[in-house]
Amino acid sequence: MRTLKKEYLLHLMLLPGVIVTLIYAYGPMAGLVMAFQQFEPLAGFFRSDFVGFDNFRYVFELPDFKQVLWNTIVISVFKMVLFLLVPLILALLLNEVTRRWFSRFIQSAIFLPFFLSWTVLGGVIIELFSLNGPVNGLLGALHMEPIMFMLDNNWFRGIVIGSDVWKGMGYNMIVMLAAITGIHATLYEAAEVDGAGRWKQMIHITLPGMAPILILLGVLSLGGILNAGFEQILIMYNPTVYEGADIIDTFVYRLGMFSQQFGPAAAVGFFKSVISLALVAVTYYAAYKYNNYRIF
Amino acid sequence: MKWTKLAKMMLISTMTLSVMAACSNQGDESEGTPKKTSAEEANSNTTPPDPLGKYPETVTVTQVLGYNPPEDPRTPQGITPEQNAYFKDLKDMLNIEVQYKWTVPSSQFEQKFSLAMASADLPDIMELDQKNFEKLKKQDMLADLTQAYNDFASPALKKYMESDGGFAMKTFTSDGKLLAIPGFEDPFLSTQLLWIRKDWLDNLKLQPPKTMDELEQVARAFVQQDPDQNDKNDTYGIAMQKNLFFWGFDLRGFFNGFGAYPSIGDNQSAWIKDDSGKLIPGLIQPEVKTALGELQSWYKEGILDKEFALKDENKSVEDITAGKVGISYGEWWYPNWPLNLNVDKDPKADWIALQIPGLDGPGKSMVPKIRSNKLVVVNKKMKNPEAAIKMINFYIEMGNKKYMDQNKAEKGYVYNWFNPRIYNPAQIETIYTEVNKALDANQTEITLDDENYKNVADVFKAAKDYLAGNTANASKGVNWGQYFSRAAKDGGWGMTRQIKENQAYVNNEFYGLPTATQVEKGSQLDKLMQETFTKIVMGASLDEFDKFVQSWKSLGGDQITQEVNDWYGQQGAK
Repeated sequence: MRTLKKEYLLHLMLLPGVIVTLIYAYGPMAGLVMAFQQFEPLAGFFRSDFVGFDNFRYVFELPDFKQVLWNTIVISVFKMVLFLLVPLILALLLNEVTRRWFSRFIQSAIFLPFFLSWTVLGGVIIELFSLNGPVNGLLGALHMEPIMFMLDNNWFRGIVIGSDVWKGMGYNMIVMLAAITGIHATLYEAAEVDGAGRWKQMIHITLPGMAPILILLGVLSLGGILNAGFEQILIMYNPTVYEGADIIDTFVYRLGMFSQQFGPAAAVGFFKSVISLALVAVTYYAAYKYNNYRIF
Repeated sequence: MKWTKLAKMMLISTMTLSVMAACSNQGDESEGTPKKTSAEEANSNTTPPDPLGKYPETVTVTQVLGYNPPEDPRTPQGITPEQNAYFKDLKDMLNIEVQYKWTVPSSQFEQKFSLAMASADLPDIMELDQKNFEKLKKQDMLADLTQAYNDFASPALKKYMESDGGFAMKTFTSDGKLLAIPGFEDPFLSTQLLWIRKDWLDNLKLQPPKTMDELEQVARAFVQQDPDQNDKNDTYGIAMQKNLFFWGFDLRGFFNGFGAYPSIGDNQSAWIKDDSGKLIPGLIQPEVKTALGELQSWYKEGILDKEFALKDENKSVEDITAGKVGISYGEWWYPNWPLNLNVDKDPKADWIALQIPGLDGPGKSMVPKIRSNKLVVVNKKMKNPEAAIKMINFYIEMGNKKYMDQNKAEKGYVYNWFNPRIYNPAQIETIYTEVNKALDANQTEITLDDENYKNVADVFKAAKDYLAGNTANASKGVNWGQYFSRAAKDGGWGMTRQIKENQAYVNNEFYGLPTATQVEKGSQLDKLMQETFTKIVMGASLDEFDKFVQSWKSLGGDQITQEVNDWYGQQGAK
């Protein structure tokens, strides 16, 4: 009680954030009832009939659902791993660059695509990998058979993953670079005195120093394991690659928007949230237990 | 510390993101609900109802619009739907103001409208398809138009509505309440024709194809023998896009040529009668498999665009305009758009319309029994439902001779942006006969003088100009497009009439409203069909088709078949 009195100003400052969270994050949760209703938008929550778990049963029994779930997990796991690995390598490499202007330039260049929207980029990538596009032009110059990248299930997945990593890697890279700068210079000096080279310094100082951030990024991304990149796939896919690239979100989108089956769509959304919550809880607990790392 | 807070926020937002997305539609339920004032207010006027009577006070009507580009190239550049010149006249004549809640390119309309329905944020006057009509009817969202129609429909509108014996209106009446003004047209407008470049045929000394085999030879020649004679290997056989069944640049006609009747344009299947008199889905008949097999070999050979599965209708139009493709299946209106663009780009281009090739001799196209794609309905919450009827009257009225000097594309009149628009169901036939009468008699003016005047006169003028080679008023392509789609005896409608006369068609027997399972499972089945057919064309095993039939049946197809036959039984009893 006494602390509250002393810190009331701080709590007051927190209040707007709490209110916004309540309104925009907790308020809409009431909409979850949709998942248990034969929801009719024009009748609203109050006059739609309750159907128990029928919506969930309906969705899980759809023959596509398993495929869709699998696609989602495959794509997002690849993305998650690469989103840690690629930026890490980039950050470590950039850290070794001694010329300031050069590393700044590279940083910006890598970060730039992060700001482009998929609406624009998606079209560019489709053109890039089309039969008459530059990539196939290159293959032709090397006397290789042209490949229909966007119509081939294996290639398409790769392109989705690759292009998303390329687009987003700058963000994590900056975060990691920041973590590296946070490591005390004295540690490096001490290591140098002990005769450690750049490589040894990286293994024994830089990487352990970054560990908390790496874990944080990993934990945070795990919550999104069922988010495989809705916008990107919606713009880039086509019926031929449904098999390999139709993910939960695009599936729900078609279910909700075109069939207007809001109940089942909400059920899938609910399902996604529950899985995410469970995963976040587990990874958080693991991080706490084995690394003594805490967010809260 | 900073990290902690940020992470907290991020965690919370990640967890609830999907929930939010699912629920964000609810917010504005109360918005867009006009205060309900007494409906009597509008009717309390003692003056007799006048179909084109001016409101004493401005009535604001909300609408939404999915728009295509203006068809007429003479339309002022950069004009927006809000600037449509019709609105000025509407205000002057009826004191009605139109406010768009939103406008989107028509390709996004379905999506956007679904969203509007989900958030119950609907405009006053809407044009619906049958599926959405069913939904809104079930929700009791539609105004009863009986009174408004009886009091305010102009003689011309009544004439149109009664031209089918009131059949269409009856379809959309429930419990004695007229819920929609159906815009129906001659069903033969849907007849599939084969459009082919005669100049390319001549270049290669080929005859217009009559059978599938001949078509294959022609198509192959169009790929391999440089039909445009530019010494470049830059042409392919048949226009095609990712939707095998669509409103244009699709393959309905191709399938029809094999005696396969899978669809009438939307992805839902079409229904034909079997020997026992029952209705069966055309989509799963063995003829479809044969046709798919043929497509597969054409694809392999390069007659079809290798990347058709990535292309939408706009890309097909680009290819046609650029002279990359010289064969396309489609309806009567092709010359009006987009073939005219090709003609303007390449004056040598000479498109002709053929009856679709069949297995031995010309084939039979599928034709629906009713062509009524749009239904004009009024939101129950609107206080002036008669405004919708008056607006329909207004659009019909604008076709009269006295508005001719004003009502021109170059003055910003964009007819295909104006809603609600109800056509004379016999409009195209009227145009065809009147224009040909005037041409044959070598008249300089058409004699007709009613609300059809503008439509007939426009085509007549274009026909005259085209035949005289006069390009002072419009380009050659535009004139030719008007003439060849509507008036030429061997053109779009001319050829369609011949097919109608020769009865070279097969009816889609189902013309009821979409059944419950169709509404519910439709898009699931569509996806299955799209995916399977596209893959087969691109080289998957033909046996996939048999698997598809099984899945289609078990995923709701059998149920739909049952429902359709129930409907058919009732229909027969009527």
